[in-house]
Amino acid sequence: MKFEKIINLKSVAAAAVLVLSSCSNAPNSPGYEFMPDMYRSPSLEYYSTHTLNGDTLLTAKKPVAGTIARGHMPGIPAGMDYEKSGLYLKNPIALSDAVMKDAEHLYTNFCVHCHGKDGKGDGAVGQKLPGAPPAYDGTLKSLSEGKIFYSITHGKGMMGAHDGQLNVEERWKLVHYVQKLQGPKAVADSAAAKATGPVDELKKEEKNK
Amino acid sequence: MIKNLSRTALNIFVSFFFAGFVISNSLNAADGKTVFKQNCAVCHTLTDQRGTGPGLGGIKDRAPGGDWLFNWVKNAEKMIKSGDPEANKIFKEYAPTVMTVFEGSLSDDDIKAVVEYIKNPPAPPTPTNTVTNDGGEVAGAEGGISPLYILLSVITILALLISVLRGVRVSLRNITNKKEGKAEEPSSTFWEETKSWMGGHRRFVGVCLIVITCIGVKGCWNTLFDVGVYYDWETGRGYKPEQPIKFSHKIHAGDNAIACQYCHNSVEKSRHAGIPTVNVCMNCHKGISAGPSGEKGTAEIAKIYAAAGFDSKTQKYDESKANPIKWIKVHNLPDHVYFNHSQHVVVGKIECAQCHGDVKKMTVAEQQSPLTMKWCIECHRKTEVAMEGNAYYDKLHEALKEKYKGQHMKAFTVSQMGGIECGRCHY
Repeated sequence: MKFEKIINLKSVAAAAVLVLSSCSNAPNSPGYEFMPDMYRSPSLEYYSTHTLNGDTLLTAKKPVAGTIARGHMPGIPAGMDYEKSGLYLKNPIALSDAVMKDAEHLYTNFCVHCHGKDGKGDGAVGQKLPGAPPAYDGTLKSLSEGKIFYSITHGKGMMGAHDGQLNVEERWKLVHYVQKLQGPKAVADSAAAKATGPVDELKKEEKNK
Repeated sequence: MIKNLSRTALNIFVSFFFAGFVISNSLNAADGKTVFKQNCAVCHTLTDQRGTGPGLGGIKDRAPGGDWLFNWVKNAEKMIKSGDPEANKIFKEYAPTVMTVFEGSLSDDDIKAVVEYIKNPPAPPTPTNTVTNDGGEVAGAEGGISPLYILLSVITILALLISVLRGVRVSLRNITNKKEGKAEEPSSTFWEETKSWMGGHRRFVGVCLIVITCIGVKGCWNTLFDVGVYYDWETGRGYKPEQPIKFSHKIHAGDNAIACQYCHNSVEKSRHAGIPTVNVCMNCHKGISAGPSGEKGTAEIAKIYAAAGFDSKTQKYDESKANPIKWIKVHNLPDHVYFNHSQHVVVGKIECAQCHGDVKKMTVAEQQSPLTMKWCIECHRKTEVAMEGNAYYDKLHEALKEKYKGQHMKAFTVSQMGGIECGRCHY
């Protein structure tokens, strides 16, 4: 009799616990599920892990070495450093209104929080960095397009590499926008012109036409 | 006997179960409130706080009298075109955003209900969470005890009382039997006694059973709306899991105005918005190692360094120590539905906040839309496709212009170009 009573109480308690837990609205709980395999399928979800032969592996994988994406645009050749990029890299994308529009959109999404709306280095995050980014129309006024491209790709100083977030085309578009924020180039600075290479000279000629 | 016992337990369990569902699922909210939540809350608050559109606090005193508010909700564009001064004032202030036209998607009664609701909004709820400056959340007192718990404790107390009283009765009877020298009655089980009691009160038991069944069926029906939905229809709040790093969207997207796309950078190129890799964090946190209020933030940022294998003293990375952060996905769609972010964001030009809510104010990221099929379809039915000047639709636009030559097309919604075909999302 006593034994049965205990069982009875236990089952009541178990039922209560079950009911309580199934009705919890805890923010960590995703809620009720019915036939969970419709939601949690055996196929691999991105950004998660799976086990293979006892090893836990990430489902996000790097493509096989040497893979070239469709429509791939070559970026910075291997071994090319900052200075060399400044000398030899030139913008493959012609400047147009459409490009500028895209570039502005990219700039607001990817640069503004540090470099500021006008590229003065006064973005909200830029202010919190140990040193604010230099202004495009100040210290960086005569920076060549190759160097700008290199900085976006691999980072420079406090700035991190953005090649993971922006593809080559987007980066070159941004170079156009940064050049716009640099303002008109100082013609007298022949040393800078030399350092920036022949590309800028060509541009200047185009402008003069 | 054991079988009987387990059946009793099962019965109790089932009745508890149904009762629980009913209480946790009172779906029948006031009409105006529901309409507001589903259609207006994305852009408007009930306080003075400005969202995509103006805050509606004190709208009763601000808005021009008569049917102005009703007409505005019904068809704001028409009001603006008619040259109404107040309408044009709001239009100019919030340009280029224009209030959605609800004529067609909401009935006059719905609009009336929602106008009544915003004129007399409920008192703002007292916040249950206080937020500290560095984004860490301090749990506040949860308001009140859920009625479910009260009911359950009452049931438990009653059940205990019954079993205690029964024990007392049995032992008393035994004592009197002994005194009077009668033979001890054969002890009957609880279930046998209950059965004989139920036999004597058939009508009562029958009514009780019918009531419990009705409540149970209604409870199950209501619960079906919650299955697979990571969202609370009642409160309009959803899944809010605790993340491995206490990342605050408020600090990043709000206070520091970092664009959503900076971290979720595949949103314009892929079906997934993307969860940022740790190098994206490091783009800024290489230089920022403390939160706005010091230690708490520092500890959380140290977790990023650990994940990146970064030594903040030497400012060097050690890839062998890198270990990915296991972020928990907040917005989940089942595998049998296809959703593409880039289609909605780039082509459809939908703002992130329309589905994800005001993330800029969220300390902990939270799901703010039901993400149910009904929700998708409702939007596809009423959203007009902006084809003019949208390169993606150039071809279709030309074809449609040819097809409907000379006819005045009022609107062209997503559903009209197959946006609610089954195969569009399920394949």
